[in-house]
Amino acid sequence: MAKKISTYALLACVCLIFGYIESLVPLTAAIPGIKLGLSNSVALLLLTKRDIKGALAVNITRILLSALLFGSPFSLVFSLSGALGSMAAMLLFLKVKSVSVVGLSALGGTVHNIFQLLAAFFVLGSAVKYYLPFLILAGGISGALTGIISELILKKVKTNGKF
Amino acid sequence: MLKKGDYIIFLSIAFLGVALLFFNFFGKQTGKTVIITEKGETVYEGSLSDDKTVTLSGNTVVIENGCAYIESANCKNQVCVNTGEISEKGETIVCTPNRVVVEVE
Repeated sequence: MAKKISTYALLACVCLIFGYIESLVPLTAAIPGIKLGLSNSVALLLLTKRDIKGALAVNITRILLSALLFGSPFSLVFSLSGALGSMAAMLLFLKVKSVSVVGLSALGGTVHNIFQLLAAFFVLGSAVKYYLPFLILAGGISGALTGIISELILKKVKTNGKF
Repeated sequence: MLKKGDYIIFLSIAFLGVALLFFNFFGKQTGKTVIITEKGETVYEGSLSDDKTVTLSGNTVVIENGCAYIESANCKNQVCVNTGEISEKGETIVCTPNRVVVEVE
């Protein structure tokens, strides 16, 4: 149990560092919220090990800490909505054998952005809907890239099926 | 390794994105009015052809030559300033930290 908790804490830290590095390198100025989403590779790692509770715990810890450290109450709502949506979508497709980590990640990225925009829709109003196509495409591309990275990590990291 | 399901996901995302993109640009037309909302409340509504500078608590919105843009913002990320000018119907500038939305209708 103690080992599990420290592993999750470690993974949450890895997510935070990913998030911090990403915030230093803004990919585009015109559309807010476009980033690689490397943190998702940690969630993917746990999901592919069938550790759904762990993935959820690490994700929520990461979001709370990152909102406290770098964000605002609104960024908390946006991230939480995005993360929970993408986790749910990835869980649905986790057992589909013909979908690999890359496809799973692309799906997660897209759904993440859709849910984030949905939260923005309630906070900022209906005007944000014009960002939807850009965010869908960006989520798919960045999700696929993160998926490729995750697959490389999964190959290198030997966990013997558990942490 | 990519599998069949992956391609289906990629294609669905691409199709959805491109379809919505067309939907966005289809029927795009020059807007007439500018609506500025701050924290969910409309603080300014006026014609796009009236040159005006609207000062909000954290942002300065400028309307001139039929375009609207955010000239300055007190936030760290400056996303709204970098968005640039908007003039077409449905275009928006969003400032998340100050909850400001500038919309052309």
